Amino acid sequence: MSIRLENISKRFGAFTALGDVSLEARPGEFLALLGPSGSGKTTLLRIMAGLEFPDCGRVSFDGEDVTGLKVADRHVGFVFQHYALFRHMTVAENIAFGLNVRRRRDRPTRSAIDARVQELLDLVQLGSLGHRYPAQLSGGQRQRVALARALAVDPKLLLLDEPFGALDARVRKDLRRWLRELHDRMGLTSIFVTHDQEEALELADRVVVMDHGVIEQVATPLHIYNEPASAFVFDFVGESNRVPVVVARGKVLYLGQPLDVPAIGADGPSELFFRPHDAEIVKSDTGAIPALVAQVRPKGAGVRVEGKFIGIDRPFEIDVAAEDAPEPGRIIALKPGHPRLFPTHTHEDQA
Amino acid sequence: MAATESRTARWLLIAAALGFLGIFLFLPLVAVFAEALEKGVGAYMAAIVEPDALAAIRLTLLVAAISVPVNILFGVSAAWAITKFDFPGKSLLITFIDLPFSVSPVVSGLIFVLLFGAHGWFGAWFAERDIQIIFAVPGIVLATVFVTFPFVARELIPLMTEQGRDDEEAALSLGASGWQTFWHVTLPNIRWGLLYGVLLCNARAMGEFGAVSVVSGHIRGLTNTMPLHVEILYNEYNFVAAFAVASLLALLALVTLVLKSIVEWRFNYHHRGTGH
Repeated sequence: MSIRLENISKRFGAFTALGDVSLEARPGEFLALLGPSGSGKTTLLRIMAGLEFPDCGRVSFDGEDVTGLKVADRHVGFVFQHYALFRHMTVAENIAFGLNVRRRRDRPTRSAIDARVQELLDLVQLGSLGHRYPAQLSGGQRQRVALARALAVDPKLLLLDEPFGALDARVRKDLRRWLRELHDRMGLTSIFVTHDQEEALELADRVVVMDHGVIEQVATPLHIYNEPASAFVFDFVGESNRVPVVVARGKVLYLGQPLDVPAIGADGPSELFFRPHDAEIVKSDTGAIPALVAQVRPKGAGVRVEGKFIGIDRPFEIDVAAEDAPEPGRIIALKPGHPRLFPTHTHEDQA
Repeated sequence: MAATESRTARWLLIAAALGFLGIFLFLPLVAVFAEALEKGVGAYMAAIVEPDALAAIRLTLLVAAISVPVNILFGVSAAWAITKFDFPGKSLLITFIDLPFSVSPVVSGLIFVLLFGAHGWFGAWFAERDIQIIFAVPGIVLATVFVTFPFVARELIPLMTEQGRDDEEAALSLGASGWQTFWHVTLPNIRWGLLYGVLLCNARAMGEFGAVSVVSGHIRGLTNTMPLHVEILYNEYNFVAAFAVASLLALLALVTLVLKSIVEWRFNYHHRGTGH
């Protein structure tokens, strides 16, 4: 199923949760809504579900306007952050709920419901736990019950609010892979909310980066990571180093000295961003950024070097091969690789 | 040193608390039953099966049988509205729910005399239609409903606030109607809290004296509830009968306490069992 949001706005009192947001998810797509808390991502998800209604704008499923439809009539699967399992019902009863509340003429027979529940229990790998109560399950198991319950009503659209937020790192990683497989196998359109950029980049077909109620960028994980559209996106989707520069006459000036990087961007005060793994320690200090090394720690195959840029009071972190590791206390020359330039928004900095 | 001191302090505190309980709660309870049974079981039973006493018992049960369900309905809907929806005047409603706790019961009674009495605002209208409210059963029911209406709502509001709206939203997202959501999800979630509120509400409905005293008119065999009957007997120096009827109320209190403890135990058990 495709879902289309057009010019959605939503206010809560004086707070603007969403300001004129438009977005489209294609059939079969796995979309991540990524942003910090208060960015409006959960509100957007709830508007898609019909748990919240926009002040203005349009929501349509497969071209059909559903803006005024309540959640009960939208036939979407919604998985809540804290699972919202019915604690007085067994796992099987939880999963059967969506079928049991149907009107008699639409309701499957008792044995058909039982069969469907067992099928879903097997699907979420909880085959023998149907008789347990939610309190007797681990976090990861509860999450899978919540998913099975949402899938029981055969939704074409699956919405997940911070699906892995309450789980520990290991379980999270397993569940992530499993969910992706499930999505592909069932041919769903899925949209999930997360504040974890790693999760979004690893799991989604496309990532929607949000901040302050607006969409900053919509793109594939690779594109988001390599071609961030704004300083915010660069900073949010991965580790970053930033230094203040001035772009003038085709040159990038750092503290008045030209840097050995291409000047792609408008003239004026800018921020130069680069990723820790894109930096290089060079011999010659012309065209490079001087920095003072404070710490060297092992990281993956290489080392993570931390310290401060000299001349400005800002920290840096870079990843280099172990044999290139400098001594702490040394001054090194850094050459940023794959740098990105974004104009400095002075009014924002003051705010 | 410090350890022994704190130990002494602990025993002193426990002794003080138990002593206080003994003198102010346990002793009176014993006194009620001792006094009631002073002239033997025969006199005790005679005082209870006496027609006016039976009428008082019947009336008390009737008043409780009406006001408790009314307050369940009101309490659940008020708590539901307050915790599941946002609407203007919400905090005002919360304040008003506490009103019966904050005014003296005598004032509560007088409010109804003022509204429905012979010279009250609506008194003439009802008098024309030959409906008597004050000094009759309807007045007693009204006063009792008013005095006991915070119990259920007060018990449910914090509980439902803590539980949030997720469960209800989950049920709705699975296609359940509002009524199905209430019946299959909300009600089971609040059942122990609700039962607790109902017990307290019932105990107060049966035991209420002040407000009921103002609107009742104390007509023996007609508008006397058990607490009022006790007072009349006592004023007539009929101590055995007064304490016999009083012992029934005391018994109700004891039964309520036991039930309350059981519910509390279940309630905590359920609460702990489902924590995240």
